[in-house]
Amino acid sequence: MKVGHKIKKPEKLNLVPILDSVFIFIFFLLMSAQFVEVYEIGSSLPMTKDVPADKLEKDPLNLTLEVGKDQIIVKTGMQSARSRSFASTQKDELKTYLRELKKSYPKENTMIVKADPKISFQTLITTIDNTQEEKGSKDKLFEQIVFDNQGVK
Amino acid sequence: MKRKFHRHKEREAIDVDITSLLDILTILLVFLLKSYNASDLKLDLTKDLEIADSSSRYMTRFAPVVQVNREAKVFLNNKEIGRIPASGEMTILTNLLKEEKIKTEKNNATKKQQYNAELVNLVFDRDMDYQVVQRVMHDSALAGFSQFKFIVKGNY
Repeated sequence: MKVGHKIKKPEKLNLVPILDSVFIFIFFLLMSAQFVEVYEIGSSLPMTKDVPADKLEKDPLNLTLEVGKDQIIVKTGMQSARSRSFASTQKDELKTYLRELKKSYPKENTMIVKADPKISFQTLITTIDNTQEEKGSKDKLFEQIVFDNQGVK
Repeated sequence: MKRKFHRHKEREAIDVDITSLLDILTILLVFLLKSYNASDLKLDLTKDLEIADSSSRYMTRFAPVVQVNREAKVFLNNKEIGRIPASGEMTILTNLLKEEKIKTEKNNATKKQQYNAELVNLVFDRDMDYQVVQRVMHDSALAGFSQFKFIVKGNY
């Protein structure tokens, strides 16, 4: 005797709740979406502090970057000032030099920027970018930027 | 009298195929997730302003926004306040920034969410001369803002 088997129809998935949540999620994301990715470059006003000469362990770095139209002059030291100039195209050389300075002064993280009043804002930003380590890098160079508002004379 | 019997056909439930809709939603979701920004600063760029490209990846923070476009028009929180003068200080910018600072300090005292009252976001056109940048920084400093954040566009 044959026994009739009832064929069970597969139950349909109820997608309504997941669709509801996806819709809500989309609205939330639409509200917080930013189509132009913007970031920031920080800087602060110069602040001065008097340190007695006998308390200074060694000649402070006093790293100053003079940004001109075609060249960048890196000045270091206070008592025995040194300077080295780079063409604005010598990005790698500039970064290598700053890395060397960072090795000698690992605690220093301030860089004074003096820029020519006639250079464009983009030139200034590109120069600052060239003095920083690549994104994702663990090592940091001179991250604290202070603008010397007297500019390059 | 003859009674009329209406024979009702049983209506079958229509199966709507939502596969394509789900596909679209998934693509949209991925696209929106990629453009999601966790920053609390919502920036509306003004007309005639192209922001500078940078490799910086520091997230923006909420603070008053000063924008200066190609025509040297100055906007504070998207409201035009005038042009950069040919020489001297822009007192209106300093005064309005002072008001903003007082507002932020008041909010910090009463509200839970605290904002840095010394921070100002500066947006300049990429071709703007550095001397304009210097002057805006100077006017902002006079209002008590000592931390400047230059807003830049992420380049890849």
